[in-house]
Amino acid sequence: MNKQRIIEIIGMHAAEVLPDLADHRFVEDDRLQELGANSVDRAEILNMVLDSLSLAIPRVELFGPRNIGELADLLLRKLQSA
Amino acid sequence: MQVGIEAMNVFGGTAFIDVSRLAEHRRLDTTRFENLLMKEKTVALPCEDAISYGVNAARPIVDALSDAERDRIELLITCSESGVDFAKSMSTYIHHYLKLNRNCRLFEIKQACYSGTAGFQMAVSFILSQASPGAKALVVATDISRLIAVSGGEALTEDWSFAEPSSGAGAVAMLVGEEPTVFQVDVGANGYYGCEVFDTCRPVADSEAGDADLSLLSYLDCCENAFLEYRRRVRDAHYRDSFHYLTFHTPFGGMVKGAHRTMMRKMAGATAREIEDDFQQRVTPGLSYCQRVGNIMGGTVFMSLAGTIDTGDYSNGPRRIGAFSYGSGCCSEFYSGVVTREGQESQRRFNILGELDRRWTMSMQEYDEVLRDSAVVRFGTRNVSLHEQWDQVASKRTSQRPHLYLRQIREFHREYEWTE
Repeated sequence: MNKQRIIEIIGMHAAEVLPDLADHRFVEDDRLQELGANSVDRAEILNMVLDSLSLAIPRVELFGPRNIGELADLLLRKLQSA
Repeated sequence: MQVGIEAMNVFGGTAFIDVSRLAEHRRLDTTRFENLLMKEKTVALPCEDAISYGVNAARPIVDALSDAERDRIELLITCSESGVDFAKSMSTYIHHYLKLNRNCRLFEIKQACYSGTAGFQMAVSFILSQASPGAKALVVATDISRLIAVSGGEALTEDWSFAEPSSGAGAVAMLVGEEPTVFQVDVGANGYYGCEVFDTCRPVADSEAGDADLSLLSYLDCCENAFLEYRRRVRDAHYRDSFHYLTFHTPFGGMVKGAHRTMMRKMAGATAREIEDDFQQRVTPGLSYCQRVGNIMGGTVFMSLAGTIDTGDYSNGPRRIGAFSYGSGCCSEFYSGVVTREGQESQRRFNILGELDRRWTMSMQEYDEVLRDSAVVRFGTRNVSLHEQWDQVASKRTSQRPHLYLRQIREFHREYEWTE
């Protein structure tokens, strides 16, 4: 697992929640909110990402990242310490 | 022995606004607003506060009691984050205006939107303790939001725009005792879960601050962990099969839908189609009043329960209801109880829906004026006269019931008066 792969997983689930993003090419600087995800959508995307990564951690530990790249970095650290 | 709710009533205020009009008025992105499942929200007027709300919720319950029954109310707990004094609890005012027996414990409980459940569980424990056999407890969960968001500071969420459309005002009063006609508690079936998290709060008077994203993540963490603890204590409990209805703390319907979806996927391995059907069947009855009043904080989970009792189907026998309560900060609990057709019929006398229909519709201009005028009753107000506002409300309201409104504050003491 690496950062790029995690960004792809986040993008895949973001497009599931927001079908308008099906053709979007996700990059590190993307912010879910700017892509049209409200707070309920963002929580749903996080849920799906955690399931895909088989990561069992409190969701509140994923609060803070300002874009998809920072979220991927945080998830990678959590995976490495799991 | 049995314990639970003998009677419950919701007071959903005097005036409301349509939240889709508010969204347009504030130029919020309305394209996906429908997914949030919000319809109306109650607005607290300057001559209304958490005390008047609490009294107005409780009075129909107290009026229906005999003198002997009323005198057995030995515990009155207010549950709120909208108190008017750091020391004096609102229960003292409510006790006075309801003319209750003076041999009664009066105090207040705070833990954000979990407060109603905290008060309810304390009342249940008091009854179960049998320290005073036959006694009753009155639990009043009451909150308003004057809604002046704390400005400035980089931690304030960019998505705070949900807060204004969803913050309501309202109170739920519950009589708790040994004859739980309305909601019989499953004794010992409680999964509680709490931890320190700084999601939403009221760090200064009359205002709120917080982060909607963090609060939602914490809500989901708690929903899962509280239920897991419930399941540890209640053998064979199953999220999909053990409860005919589910009632949630409801900041707004869309959040409950998200939590239910997550739980059904994790606990029951349900498919998207199954989840949607289950949501319609088991969860939407609990949204019926919440969608019309907004988030009333401490009392919200019980407003959801009242909706589930009033609109559910109990014709084929008793039905078990699972309840999830969450309060930012945070503490949460999953618990359950049983409702029967007799309980549903007994609740009809309070006509909660009919009273909601009697609220008046505010224009956006009136709403903005109320937000501005609310400054005159800020926390810590020493003297203010509200006779003009009181008279206006008394002449405009259409409810047949007497209601209590604030007349004036004199040297910090609040003085209320009943309408006819």
